[in-house]
Amino acid sequence: MTTVLDARAERWWSTAGVGLLLPVALLIAWQALGASVGTPRTPLPVNIVKAAAVMIASGDLPAALLQSLGRVFGGFLLAAILAIPLGLLMGYSRAAERNLDPLVETFRPIAAIAILPLAILWLGTGTSAAVAIVAYAAFFPLIVNAVAGAKHVNPTLLRAAATMGLDRMTTIRTVVIPAALPSIGVGLRIAMGVGWTAIVAAELAVGAKAGGGGSGGIGQMMFVFYAYSIELNRIIVCMLAVGLVALLLDRLLRAMMKKLMPWAVQ
Amino acid sequence: MSPPGRPKGEYRSAKHEGSPVTAPAKLRLDGVGKRYPVAGAPDTVAIDEFSLDVRQGEFLVIVGPSGCGKTTVLNVLAGLDTPTRGTVAIDDRLITAPGPDRGVMFQDYALFPWQTVRGNVEFGLRYGPAGAGLDREAREERVRRTIELVGLTGAETKYPHQLSGGMRQRVALARLMANEPEVLLMDEPLAALDAQTRIILQDEMLRIWGQDRPPAERRTVVFITHAIDEAVFLADRVAVMTAHPGRLKVVVDIPLPRPRGDATRALPQFQALTQQIWSLIRDEAYRAAVA
Amino acid sequence: MSPHVGGTRTLPGRSWGALVYLRTMLVFAAVWALVAQWTDNPILLPSPLTVLDAATDLARDLELFEQAGISLGRMVVSISIACLLAVPLGLAMGLSRRFDRIVDPTLEVLRPISGIAWIPLALFIFGIGNALPVFIMTYAAFFPILVGTVAAVRSVDRRLVDVARTMGIPQRTIVTRIVIPAALPSLLVALRLGVALSWTAVVAAELIGAPSGLGYAVEWYRELLATPQVMSFIAMIGVIGYLCDATVRWLNRRFTPWAQSPR
Repeated sequence: MTTVLDARAERWWSTAGVGLLLPVALLIAWQALGASVGTPRTPLPVNIVKAAAVMIASGDLPAALLQSLGRVFGGFLLAAILAIPLGLLMGYSRAAERNLDPLVETFRPIAAIAILPLAILWLGTGTSAAVAIVAYAAFFPLIVNAVAGAKHVNPTLLRAAATMGLDRMTTIRTVVIPAALPSIGVGLRIAMGVGWTAIVAAELAVGAKAGGGGSGGIGQMMFVFYAYSIELNRIIVCMLAVGLVALLLDRLLRAMMKKLMPWAVQ
Repeated sequence: MSPPGRPKGEYRSAKHEGSPVTAPAKLRLDGVGKRYPVAGAPDTVAIDEFSLDVRQGEFLVIVGPSGCGKTTVLNVLAGLDTPTRGTVAIDDRLITAPGPDRGVMFQDYALFPWQTVRGNVEFGLRYGPAGAGLDREAREERVRRTIELVGLTGAETKYPHQLSGGMRQRVALARLMANEPEVLLMDEPLAALDAQTRIILQDEMLRIWGQDRPPAERRTVVFITHAIDEAVFLADRVAVMTAHPGRLKVVVDIPLPRPRGDATRALPQFQALTQQIWSLIRDEAYRAAVA
Repeated sequence: MSPHVGGTRTLPGRSWGALVYLRTMLVFAAVWALVAQWTDNPILLPSPLTVLDAATDLARDLELFEQAGISLGRMVVSISIACLLAVPLGLAMGLSRRFDRIVDPTLEVLRPISGIAWIPLALFIFGIGNALPVFIMTYAAFFPILVGTVAAVRSVDRRLVDVARTMGIPQRTIVTRIVIPAALPSLLVALRLGVALSWTAVVAAELIGAPSGLGYAVEWYRELLATPQVMSFIAMIGVIGYLCDATVRWLNRRFTPWAQSPR
């Protein structure tokens, strides 16, 4: 039997405040401990907030983020233009899949970051290498999901189209593609996440190799703060920014998917 | 059996079930009600003022239209749900939690997919209080006997995903019986089977329950079903429930002779009882189907 | 049934698949050889045969396998640590709504920050060496395994637990003998993802901050402009990544045979 007290306890547990208990406690402990036993270099929550304010106000942080985002979108678009049509084709035609799949499956386990040295070799330490890495990284989730989307179109839908006398091109355009959209949407979300991680990694690695020379971007900024000015507070600001952007990108894509494909409950 | 004209009054107050042969009440539901809070709406009342005595050794079947709360009654008897009103007791002890004395068989068997048939059947004995005091040999013997009872000898090392529906049902039954429960609670155990397998298993159920043995050796069974013919075939008494909120409408005696078999289904009495119960449910069923 | 257009051959599946694979890869190699010939720059694009040569040399003096062993060793350690941390935590979060409500918001803040973003800070804390890759890889595997464990626990069929309760089985036994076995298939799927992300992280971590391993080897040879060797090691990274995934898939089949859907 639930008593009145139990009900009240239940309500307390479900308030938003409960979720904040742990983080706030941790932050306070961190600040206190760090301030008392740490070195002047030790990052502290208060200092991190201060550093963030400085970096945003000076425009450095937004600029770096924008530069990285630009590269991500560039690589993403490149990958999408290649992967989605190819994937749809492979999903629709068994012959295409048979012949092309070995290539996809061979390179898929090779992470984008492993290709980076090759990319640097071919394209130098600038934006093109970074965009190429993002494109490579985003390519695989996009194609895999496009293939799955086209492959798993409900055969009954195709039969319905046939009985309406639609020719192959029209069927692909009006049935296969819309039916595959939810799967493609999933691929877009994964690819965006992977691409964002890849750009940070690429810029970090390039920053490490190019010795702080201007390839820019958030990854490089982080590396500079590590290797040159040793500003741990700023590194953490960058980390939080990376996380925040990842979150926002995902939410944005999810909202877009919902708008474009309300019938696909995810 | 009651001719249609009989005043309802005789059955209405099932609280003091005074049918001719009064065996002691094994299970007693007294004014039981269960309601669930619903966000932003009035509470859902699953069952309301439900009172019923289940006698020792009887096979009681509960029928009613979809959504009438039959499963809730079972859950309350099992101790998986606590009533918001009223009390439920076994042997005059209040039921507050589930336990091996009241074994439950769920609708789709809920077998442990990672265990073999033997693993499933001995599970309660191995890890639960029902196996306390049994050494390994005694336990294995009981498992063997139970598997034999349900007719699954030879399938001990198979996994559930390798078995047919009828066989899975037997495994679920064996798992239940191995704990030697005093009461068996079954929630539409035959619903997932095809019609032919169903009939065969109805016979099996009665055999396992002990219809060939003297009444004193039979266990108490509370069985839920949609199928009225199944209810009439199996039951000593049939409790008819109304649609949501669930209330006990009437309890009908089934004085068909035991042991029952194919011949029973051909009896005119069988037909009459089936018709009687259907006419009691019909309006409720229509309402449930349309709502 | 798939809407696949195009005929199906009648040769036995496995051998036919292998032949097609070979055919595609040979075409790829041929195209590669032609482009390499045309660009005529062995540093930019060595011919496939040169790469094969380099690879066999590296294999012969075991350098290929040594570095692979080091990276693989790090991954095994990382996955073990990640599981030791994430599985109990995930169990607790999945079983207790209240615990989940306290802990989850903090974890949700950390989760979007990829393991790779931690490299600079970790470099500062650990310096260049073994600890850095292990830390990054553990972090990378931690969240997928945690999230997957919570989902696995939550998806356990409620009725299996109810069955055990009706048998009077105590709560602790229910967790060990019911919840964990029932959650195992999903857990192994989460492990697959963790392994994949961890392996991706190893390359990044070793590229930047370790004195050994496959990632380090790739970078080392790049600085020497020894492209054939670079490609050999990249290929090795792919091979090991594939083998690790295949191993987890095998674990799945071996230990949870009841949950295998046709792939």
